[in-house]
Amino acid sequence: MSENPTFWSSIAEHWEIARTLRHLQIHFDAEKCTGVWQCYEVCPVGCWTPNLETRKVTFHDPDWCIACGACVLQCPEKAIELK
Amino acid sequence: MATVFMKWLETSPETYDRGIQLLTLGRLTPLKEKIAREYVQPGMRVLEIGCGTGTLTQMMAERGAAVTGIDASPLMLAEAQAKIAAAGLDKRVTLKQMDASLIGEKFEPKSFDLIVSTLVFSELPVSAQTYVLAACVDLLAANGRLLIADEVLPQNKLGRWLYWLIRLPLVLITWLLTRTSTAALVDFDNLLSEVGFNTNRTVSYLVGTLVLYEAAPANLQSPISNLPAAVNGRLHHQTTILTLLKDAWALFFRVIPPYPKQQPGLYAIGQPDETAPVLVTGNYDLTVRRVVKALDGAIDCWLLVADSAGINVWCAAGGGYFTAEKVITAVKSSHLEEIVSHHALILPQLAANGVDGWKIRQETGWGVHWGPVKAADIPAYLAARRKKTEAMRWVRFPLKDRLEMVSATLGLYGLMILLPTFIFWRHLFWPVTAVFLSLAYFYAIVLPWLPGKDGLWKSIPLTVLALAGLGVWTAVIHPLPPRQLFNWAIALTAFSVFTGGELQGMSPLMRGEQANWGWEATIWAVLAAIYWVTPLLTK
Repeated sequence: MSENPTFWSSIAEHWEIARTLRHLQIHFDAEKCTGVWQCYEVCPVGCWTPNLETRKVTFHDPDWCIACGACVLQCPEKAIELK
Repeated sequence: MATVFMKWLETSPETYDRGIQLLTLGRLTPLKEKIAREYVQPGMRVLEIGCGTGTLTQMMAERGAAVTGIDASPLMLAEAQAKIAAAGLDKRVTLKQMDASLIGEKFEPKSFDLIVSTLVFSELPVSAQTYVLAACVDLLAANGRLLIADEVLPQNKLGRWLYWLIRLPLVLITWLLTRTSTAALVDFDNLLSEVGFNTNRTVSYLVGTLVLYEAAPANLQSPISNLPAAVNGRLHHQTTILTLLKDAWALFFRVIPPYPKQQPGLYAIGQPDETAPVLVTGNYDLTVRRVVKALDGAIDCWLLVADSAGINVWCAAGGGYFTAEKVITAVKSSHLEEIVSHHALILPQLAANGVDGWKIRQETGWGVHWGPVKAADIPAYLAARRKKTEAMRWVRFPLKDRLEMVSATLGLYGLMILLPTFIFWRHLFWPVTAVFLSLAYFYAIVLPWLPGKDGLWKSIPLTVLALAGLGVWTAVIHPLPPRQLFNWAIALTAFSVFTGGELQGMSPLMRGEQANWGWEATIWAVLAAIYWVTPLLTK
């Protein structure tokens, strides 16, 4: 925190942000899912759909995911990770 | 790019202290020394609301008091922690990250002999000021004192005029140097007495604009019942010259601060009663006006405006400015419990990336429902008993929004690119402007039909189209000499990559534009190399 960012360290930091954001992917642990469907409630691009039979959710096309993190934050079981 | 700019705007703890020194013309430190010297005695239990970087915390602990310091910013707290540790005062100081509005619940009644706060109350909306002051009454032990040092807006006209005359240049210089600014208290003497404090202004510096209030609870009863009305007023949809001007500014320059803000607090739309729904939103002026436009005349409801630093809900939530704490503060400070008979909050779906719904449920007992993406869908959503259709929960990016967002993005980038062109390469200004604008708006129009899964991939067909356009221009309309043709080809490729890559951040339909920076920088470096090397080879 106290170290001052230099020109190159700022560049490196932004490079790292870019790399991370580009490659973030959803990892969903269906075992943990208890079917509160909060992810479905908050996903702005329709990545999650509730499954009426299993009461759980299904994760769709990873290409749609915009890595906003809403489902990760709202999942009470911490069944979703973005990494 | 936008994030680099935001980084620059962020106040770091190091520059904050410097900024405050500048703004108060160095008067704050003597004030703090006076507080520590004259009011603090060994063994006193002191609560410091907003300890910042811990300057006063340290002074008071050195006088022998047991100090509890709270601050909303983890960065500031880390700085304070380091300061306290360096002075060897860990045993007498407890630091906690906490919003001021939570003190009434987190601490025991009558547990402090002294409550101190410098430059914090002026940052709070009036409703929160009232709420925190009322909590202070409860927290103070017998013979306890409240000390508030803050900036004050003078009451009379001449005073105000003088205030702005002195303040304006100071504010500008300080903001440019340190990105720090402060607000001023309005009519605070009255508020203190309404809440139940006997007050006197013990010190006043800089023509009465920096004041130390010393206040003692007038009686021991909790004064909640004499609070001023908690509702801020009724909001109507209206179009005036001012709203048109604000819209015009927002169309091109919305990314440039200071952002126009709405005072946080509880507002009525229509004629709501105790059963009316409560909708939560951020305090960006444009957001509030658009919500009101969608709801006024359609439904009766309460609008709870939480402090999102004047930023729209999606960006504020993503950037950590709109959080569960901000919503909790708004709920508590507006006395919502006493105004409506239910316990349901409806939050914008696009705040879910930063507002932790479970935290709100746990800490307040209020239910959290994620409303539709668009404010225009709220009446239909409520009519369907809070059921969202698929269309309500998905972000769409129709042509009107695309044109609006391209304009908003071009405002800043346009200035950054076209201003230097105007100054240094004036003969190129009009061609560059024409190409830059037409490329960006063309991209906005054809975006859904361009192949590619994100902005960077879409910039490939955009480049092909742009180069084809250049080919047609030189073949049919105006033949260009080879050297100029080469320069334009390089420039168009760079522009296309910029447009595709950066305009990706315009909508929550794709990942943030930061994802493209690495590739953008690499492509530009390659283009620059081609630009410099090719002429050497062909000589």
